[in-house]
Amino acid sequence: MNTLMSFNLRDKGAEIWAGWNRLSRVVFVLFVIFMVGLLPFASTFGPTSFLNTPIASYIDVLVFPVGMFVLMALGLNIVVGKSGLLDLGYVAFFAIGAYSQAIFSTMFGWNTWTVLPIGIGLAMVSGVILGLPALRLRGDYLAIITLGFGEIVRIIALNIEVTGGPNGIPGIPNPPSFLGIKFDLENPRNFFYIVVVMILLTIWMIRRFTIRRPGRAWEAIRQDEDVAALMGVNTLVYKLWSFVIGAAVGGAAGVIYASKVMVISPDMFKFELSILILACVVFGGIGNIWGVIVGGAVLAYIPERIRFLTEARQLVFGLVLIIMMNLRPDGLLPRKKREKITEKGSK
Amino acid sequence: MTKTLLELKNVTIKFGGVTALNEVNFQVNEGEICALIGPNGAGKTTVFNVVTGVYPVTSGDIVFNGQNLKGLKRHQVTRAGLARTFQNVRLFGDMTALENVITATDVHKKTGLIRALFGTPLNRREERESETRAHELLALMGIDHRSDQLAKNLPYGDQRRLEIARALGTEPKLLLLDEPAAGFNPAEKVELAGLIRKIRDKGYTVLLIEHDMSLIMGISDRVAVLDFGQKIADDLPSVVQNDPRVIEAYLGVPADES
Repeated sequence: MNTLMSFNLRDKGAEIWAGWNRLSRVVFVLFVIFMVGLLPFASTFGPTSFLNTPIASYIDVLVFPVGMFVLMALGLNIVVGKSGLLDLGYVAFFAIGAYSQAIFSTMFGWNTWTVLPIGIGLAMVSGVILGLPALRLRGDYLAIITLGFGEIVRIIALNIEVTGGPNGIPGIPNPPSFLGIKFDLENPRNFFYIVVVMILLTIWMIRRFTIRRPGRAWEAIRQDEDVAALMGVNTLVYKLWSFVIGAAVGGAAGVIYASKVMVISPDMFKFELSILILACVVFGGIGNIWGVIVGGAVLAYIPERIRFLTEARQLVFGLVLIIMMNLRPDGLLPRKKREKITEKGSK
Repeated sequence: MTKTLLELKNVTIKFGGVTALNEVNFQVNEGEICALIGPNGAGKTTVFNVVTGVYPVTSGDIVFNGQNLKGLKRHQVTRAGLARTFQNVRLFGDMTALENVITATDVHKKTGLIRALFGTPLNRREERESETRAHELLALMGIDHRSDQLAKNLPYGDQRRLEIARALGTEPKLLLLDEPAAGFNPAEKVELAGLIRKIRDKGYTVLLIEHDMSLIMGISDRVAVLDFGQKIADDLPSVVQNDPRVIEAYLGVPADES
């Protein structure tokens, strides 16, 4: 059991990766993307048909929760994993994105692709509004403020006219077709591909940041904020950036989510969702994007796969969490122990 | 004529009812190695903390290189050209030695988040420069062979050297060393003295807090003595050594005289 706990798959993977040349890396990445692209077909293809989810439609499960959880976990990981700020209200940004899409599309008839940058922008602005006062605090106090923010956003949505109160907003249009790719109820698969593209963009962005100055600044803040400031890191600005970038990813997820489900209401953005996303990050391995992806996918998929257990479902899900966290307290794929945040290590 | 680099003018700090520094006047000249000594609790580290912006001054002014540091944030003070090490080593343990230094060299970089995201030519050049500079500094401290090891896994002496390298990474005009020889054996202390001289000869000014008298008498150009938050002496090492007030502060007053 000791070896199971200390075995760092992340380091092993990095070792193999470092041994490859550029060509084999590109081939590998394309292969992985191709395999992910085949996922929607897995439920009907013979040997992998055990993946099919009972009750819920498999392809819908792939978009929400699986794809959305992975995307949001990646976004939250920038905040919690990279710069070490505990955010318990992450769902607020998801809600802001979703309500942007709902309101702008139903009231002004703007399409998803127009609303997407607006939703991201609004989420970022609210990230600044929350971050400026909150980021002066640390640790537990910050967590409580963010928790409050998450609830405030939901309660506002519940009480004001423009969000439709507890009934939410129905009739949100699907995205218009894009380069001949249709997005509607008959083509749920294409939503999965949008989410995959967004996940890829987020991974690209995080990797860029991590190996350069922002990544080092975040890492320094996470490890010792006072020393980071004394070594010249503008801690408030970098903490704010990590908050805002995390918010942007959450907002983007919200916009796509709203245009997929077509109806949103405040009870979709409960505190539980923030905690579940945080659980994905912790379960997968705080601070490591591959771990977070696996964590998000697994924690989103398991409850759907075991839906046939009815009442026992939550119990089994909780047991899985407890057992896994005991076996691997640092997560499935923990943060690299010998991380190189320099250019050389990435190429 | 030597130029004054750092000047504390009537600096007073109070924590509630406790006066940690009382009307301290003190200056560091460019190009010298200045030592700050005093018994435990005299306020030496408080001087460092107030100069680097960790504590706000209650009254008085701190002028560095013609600029008043009062009210500046910690990272702004560092950018102005002051860098410090810590009494108890405070490295970024989960980063490699090289990354620790590169993080410090980022102070004077122009590229922020957006340029880092798109990897503009300026960003790439700056990243390369940082890395080269960090290797140079590690080599200066004699620990370049450790550059890829995690800071927390380095031997204690190398951690102390890495702290100095990291502080130098911010390209300071004045380097503040807080007990750099703490926990060193005599041979290591001699080596450290040579290193501090080498740093001074590279053009940095050094202000150090130290308890080891042989080290201080050997390398410092000037010694200031603090006792109970007040400066009681400030002169050449040989003069300070025989100052009756300094001896009194360290050893107490003989029973028959008090």
